[in-house]
Amino acid sequence: MLRYTLKRLAAGAAMLIALSMLVFILLRLAPGDPVDAYIDPMVKMSAADMARLRAELGLDKPLPVQYLIWLRDVLHGDFGRSLQRTGEPVLALIGSRIGPTLLLMLSGFGIAIIFGLIAGVVSAVKRGSVRDGTLLAVAAVGVSSPAFLTALIGLYLFSVVLHWAPSGGMLTPAMPFSLHDLLSHLILPALILAFYQSALVTRYMRSSMLEVLTQDYIRTARAKGVRENRIVSHHAVRNALLPVVTLIGSTLGLAVGGAIFIESVFNWPGMGLLLVNAVELRDYPVIMGSTLVIGAWVIVMNIATDLVYAVIDPRVKVS
Amino acid sequence: MGLIGNRTLAAVTSAALALTGLAPVAGWAAAGDKTLTGGFDVGPGGFPGNFNPLMATTGYMALTLNYQPLFVYDGKLSQIVGQLAKSYTVSDDKKTYTITLQPDVKWQDGTPFTSADVAFTLKLAQDKTSGSVYVDRLSAITDVETPDAHTVVLKLSKVNLSLLDTLTKLMMLPKHKLEKIDPSTLPRNPYWTDHPIATGPFVFDKYVTDQYVEYSRFKEYWRGEPKIARVVNRYFKTTAGAVSALKSGEIQISYVNADDLSAFKGDKGFHVIKGNSFVVNYLGFNFGAKIWDNQKVRQAVMYAINRKAIVDSLYGGMAKVANCGYVVDRYVPKGLNDYAYDPEKARQLLKEAGWDKINGSKPIKVLTYYNTQLSDNVLGAMQAMLSQVGINIVPRDVDMSTYNATIYATTPDYDSFGLVYAGLTNGPDPSNLNIGLNASQIPPNGSNYTRVNLPGVSKAFDTALSDADGSKYDSDFQNVCKAMNTDLPWATLWVTDRFGVASAKLKDFVWMPAPGGGPYASHPEKWDIAN
Repeated sequence: MLRYTLKRLAAGAAMLIALSMLVFILLRLAPGDPVDAYIDPMVKMSAADMARLRAELGLDKPLPVQYLIWLRDVLHGDFGRSLQRTGEPVLALIGSRIGPTLLLMLSGFGIAIIFGLIAGVVSAVKRGSVRDGTLLAVAAVGVSSPAFLTALIGLYLFSVVLHWAPSGGMLTPAMPFSLHDLLSHLILPALILAFYQSALVTRYMRSSMLEVLTQDYIRTARAKGVRENRIVSHHAVRNALLPVVTLIGSTLGLAVGGAIFIESVFNWPGMGLLLVNAVELRDYPVIMGSTLVIGAWVIVMNIATDLVYAVIDPRVKVS
Repeated sequence: MGLIGNRTLAAVTSAALALTGLAPVAGWAAAGDKTLTGGFDVGPGGFPGNFNPLMATTGYMALTLNYQPLFVYDGKLSQIVGQLAKSYTVSDDKKTYTITLQPDVKWQDGTPFTSADVAFTLKLAQDKTSGSVYVDRLSAITDVETPDAHTVVLKLSKVNLSLLDTLTKLMMLPKHKLEKIDPSTLPRNPYWTDHPIATGPFVFDKYVTDQYVEYSRFKEYWRGEPKIARVVNRYFKTTAGAVSALKSGEIQISYVNADDLSAFKGDKGFHVIKGNSFVVNYLGFNFGAKIWDNQKVRQAVMYAINRKAIVDSLYGGMAKVANCGYVVDRYVPKGLNDYAYDPEKARQLLKEAGWDKINGSKPIKVLTYYNTQLSDNVLGAMQAMLSQVGINIVPRDVDMSTYNATIYATTPDYDSFGLVYAGLTNGPDPSNLNIGLNASQIPPNGSNYTRVNLPGVSKAFDTALSDADGSKYDSDFQNVCKAMNTDLPWATLWVTDRFGVASAKLKDFVWMPAPGGGPYASHPEKWDIAN
């Protein structure tokens, strides 16, 4: 398994380099550069002024040279500095954003897994009932609602109308830190992030449970007089979890996409908001650094899913 | 009994909600000392993330919480008054300005503010390597003398009637802090966010990237200790986010879009503040595209657009039709052509100009950086109106970076922006329009990127800007207005109203939706919040 893991990690590193090249090229194909994002049409700027600004930012060098310089610096642990006015180091910026993004994503996922598994089991056990129909309908809404729409509706309903949660940010400015303050800011974006994921988990868990509940060993357990609760909790749920684990692992990597929308709407100071702002301002070093970190996250999560799957199910061998 | 009954499910849900803190959160924004939290950088007057006054093109509302210029506009944006300047005199030839500074002004570290700081700031603002956006606007200043600690004498090489307007935007900087820093490092220097000092009523304490800026009161402020202990400037990705925060009581002031006003209608907890945007919206003819050279074609565009109907129906009457580059009464002469909606006349003019041969029904791209729903609707309406007379426009809304990359390209693709839908500040000082309309400002010399080369317009601007007799200023700019109305370098459309919403609890709070966020005499030291 160690050899397999190392091979997958090496392939992941190669994929990251390919990803960085692709992003670099796409960025340069997009109209506008950091200088264009920098200036105001009402300010008199001569071509010479703009050329001077571009040279200061190192944008006057040939593209392959710019890329190789960036790659060399990254391999030496230097991700560069933001091209925006505060000129913060990219690594420090990313470092300060990973925590909030992980907090949001893992909270959302935690809620999604708990609610999704419970709802999936209930739905399967009560197949055909009103409860089953309601849960399926909610799940259908969940999987078909785009994250930005759910976020906007949630913001309006729970913040503006009901005043149950703050409208954005991670902590109340100018106030000492408190756990309640953090949780009150976290809960709404986390629930909205969880909405889609829990709907997915519900549907997968339900169908997996329905399949397991028709197996011979379940029938045998019933014939032996084992209580229904025990059959479900000890025999059915455990076996039904396998495909759901795969789903959770693969979507955990991709969930960062949903987090980008959520962070933008709620002004949550994570990687998503950092990336969106950087794209608007054509802040190349921040975009490249953020993409690299997000790409690494997706790759590592996929490898981890494969490994966890092998651990859970002894029949599966990774090689 | 099932595996998980209704009661169990309800209990789990309740427990989860209780643990995560989702409960009514009224009052989370107010505690302890008086803290005013606002969205000071929301909307077109904001410039979030810029803390360097030398590079400010907007965002003065937030900047002036701690920085101060020599002069500011008064609370009505009608005249320039002194701020760090107590008084000033101008020589008869208008080439020497003698400025007397306010006594007893201190920097926030206790060092006295003197004429040496003014001279240092002006020199830095004239230095291109510092990234200053004021280099061109201050180019007439050839010498700065400091005969004593509270007197500054500016010597000009030529008359510059916009000098005082420029000085309202130039924030004074501390010589003793910045003289040791290489000017070329200033554009991205940590100084600006690492406890910078200024002379204003609030001290810059902390910037949390993309989230907020925190200020605390400067107890030795020369106009008296501010009543509010702290000001927080919160950043929002969208105006809608700021509106949500206003409605939920998290912030007490923000710019809002016109279509957000309905959310505050009848709500006694808020005041709606209305003001002139001083920005004229226009369709800029790109003369580089060689399809607008015939004046009759430009006139046809004016006659084809029912500006009044758009103002009434889409802006809800909250805009004023503009027949030249501005709508301020004293710069608008009588007898202008109002180009009342007349599609038949537009068709006739196009026919006389030979529009079929010039362009015909070929699509003309309208480049714009406005990307709100309202601007989409406005462009849609103009597209429908112009198509009725045979002009086929295709709106293309892009972000500011793409807009600038397109218009500032060294060899522009004129077909990619046959027209621009944009806005330009037209007041309080109308000379701002010169950079976009005078032939002398055609790139690479300046920002006349639609290549307007109409001798009548350029001459009117040259006369207004070089006239040594300041008393003719108004009539000179009336002539500019007349030239714009006749020659039509733009299809001028309207000047919209802009809005802000403030909590009714704020007392002595001066805020207005000024172009660029000011600066104007806002007196933050007097602001207060009712208990």
